Amino acid sequence: MATGTAVSLEHVRKTYQLAEPVHALDGVDLEIPEGSYTAIMGPSGSGKSTLMNLVGCLDTPTDGTVVVGGQDVGELDDRERTTLRGTTVGFVFQTFNLMPRLTALENVALPQLFQGIGRGERNDRARELLERVGLGDRMDHMPNELSGGQRQRVALARALVNDPTIVLADEPSGNLDTETEADVLDLFDEFHDAGTTMLVVTHERHVASRAERIVHLLDGQIERIEALDESGASPRSSAGHTNGHDPDHDHDERTGSASGANS
Amino acid sequence: MRPLEFGRLAWRSIGSHRLRSALTTLGIIIGIAAVIAFVTLGASLQAGLLGDISPDDQRNLYGWAADPETEGGPLAGAQPVFTQDDLEQVDELEDVDAAYGYMPISTQALASDGELTPQSDALIAAGPPYIRPDTIDDGRQFEMGEREAVINPAVAGQFEENVSVGDELTIVRQGGEQTSVTVVGITDSSEGLSPFEGFEPSPRVYVPTDPYYTEEVDGIGAGFGDGDGNNGDGGGGSDEADPANDDDDEPATAEDARFLAIVVEAPSADDGDIDQARDSALAVLESGDSDASELLGDDLEITMQTSTELLQQLQDILDLLQNFIVGIAAISLVVGSIGIANIMLVSVTERTREIGIMKAVGAQNRDVLGLFLTEAVVLGIIGAILGTVLGLAVGYAGAWYIDIPLVYPYEYVALAVAVGILVGVLSGLYPAWRAARTDPIDALRYE
Repeated sequence: MATGTAVSLEHVRKTYQLAEPVHALDGVDLEIPEGSYTAIMGPSGSGKSTLMNLVGCLDTPTDGTVVVGGQDVGELDDRERTTLRGTTVGFVFQTFNLMPRLTALENVALPQLFQGIGRGERNDRARELLERVGLGDRMDHMPNELSGGQRQRVALARALVNDPTIVLADEPSGNLDTETEADVLDLFDEFHDAGTTMLVVTHERHVASRAERIVHLLDGQIERIEALDESGASPRSSAGHTNGHDPDHDHDERTGSASGANS
Repeated sequence: MRPLEFGRLAWRSIGSHRLRSALTTLGIIIGIAAVIAFVTLGASLQAGLLGDISPDDQRNLYGWAADPETEGGPLAGAQPVFTQDDLEQVDELEDVDAAYGYMPISTQALASDGELTPQSDALIAAGPPYIRPDTIDDGRQFEMGEREAVINPAVAGQFEENVSVGDELTIVRQGGEQTSVTVVGITDSSEGLSPFEGFEPSPRVYVPTDPYYTEEVDGIGAGFGDGDGNNGDGGGGSDEADPANDDDDEPATAEDARFLAIVVEAPSADDGDIDQARDSALAVLESGDSDASELLGDDLEITMQTSTELLQQLQDILDLLQNFIVGIAAISLVVGSIGIANIMLVSVTERTREIGIMKAVGAQNRDVLGLFLTEAVVLGIIGAILGTVLGLAVGYAGAWYIDIPLVYPYEYVALAVAVGILVGVLSGLYPAWRAARTDPIDALRYE
């Protein structure tokens, strides 16, 4: 087990055989240390989703290695990958993706159900997490009885229930208004401060700026990695290892832009 | 993941589509209900029929001679071949408790106190044991050689003034000849005492074969002697007795009376005893020493069966009917299975996203498979249980309506639930397999 590293990608390439081969990821090297908070930004088609799928053990790379929680994802069969995903990765989705017929409590407890953990223990754990995300009084509500912000907090609680090595959030505030977005992102900060490794994919600069660093993807490659200080400003940025072209001249412009979301 | 958890989740999704689930299970409900209802009725009917056979009757063997190709119930195609000698030989066998002849005698009317009621085929001549003690309500069995009779309630109640034990009854035979008998007993029911009579209620007068039958044969013999062609007199099968008379070429006597059937009493209702009595009796009757064997030839064969065995024929018809209904029910179950499979496929498509979520949070393929399979099985079991309840209710109503004792076929209830599970598994397998194979990446993107 690589101590200190939650996820590492080495020379990762993912090719989809469509009409002609499409390189969704084209030689990516990235290391996500334990306890870090990383944001991934990039325009549509830059490979963000593919990267998420790989880190989330939903997919395997065409070339290179993806190591999650010390295990090479490419070496695992489907069942082992599912187990790894269930125990080491927590997902938060833009559309919340709660089970519509299960209560908040049952939704949070669901991942542990598939780990074969007993009902009593599951519910205790789920209750504890729902308390922590501030939904102690909404446990028996159905998702359609909860607001968007509340649903996303249930989703976050569910992502954390198995004590994952990493929490993957895909546009977590995409369907939320500004106020609830801030609440949810504050929760992310809170869990990060408590030691959880966070990886957030977003279009929005102000969401990404909560992270410690921002990985900019472009055309399946890491364009640059931007380290942020506490305030979210960008003191310096370093080019990605396999970056084919030098984007130094335009990053200031991007950093200054408040509406990077639509790029 | 445990079965109980599967069940809980499956129940949740079934509960969220109540109408749809109810309609889906309808095919199963109808199929199972049809089977259970008819099996209940069949078992009740069987119990009702077998219940008519009293324990004392279970050791009786009923024998008659007929063309082996004749189809039908007791006495179908029977020819009178047994003589008094034959009966005595069988009666003396060690394996046999008693043997006596049986002969229905045609009548014209019955009279009591000068009141005449027309009545055909009311007279039955047999041995005293034919009136089993447990069937006598009042009085006693008739005795051989005496002018005595046992009547059933239908006869007793036929006259303005009820006939009771000790009364005289006049029997008018086909030829107009009148005989009087003393009523010595009345049976408890008007249903037949043996499969020979059939079980339906009808007025009957039971008399000893001697003197009533032997006397009548004398009469016929005399008739032939006179050459007046009155050969219909005997009714029943007695005219078939004539060849015997011709062979002997002498007037028929009591010894020459041929009986249509023989009743052999085994020492007990035990299968072994019954078989032994049957074998011994048949051995005697079919041997060259017996009078019956003269007439058997190649055309006739003696059938000797207990009431239970005779009822088996009726049972066979019931079984055939039941198989027919089960066949229809099976079609209903197939249609029901297709319904469940169809709804499960719709459900899998509808819940693609949920499948994606479950897989993202660590559900294995077999978990997803198990979940959908459980749902189909739960639908099947619900259908089976509701169908069973409905079927039992219909069977109960039917049994009550035709007034037979209700027998619940418990093994079929268990079978119904098993069928429900089987139907669920078969119809859920493919949809569940489809669900399990869903790619989580696509499923999460599915709108």
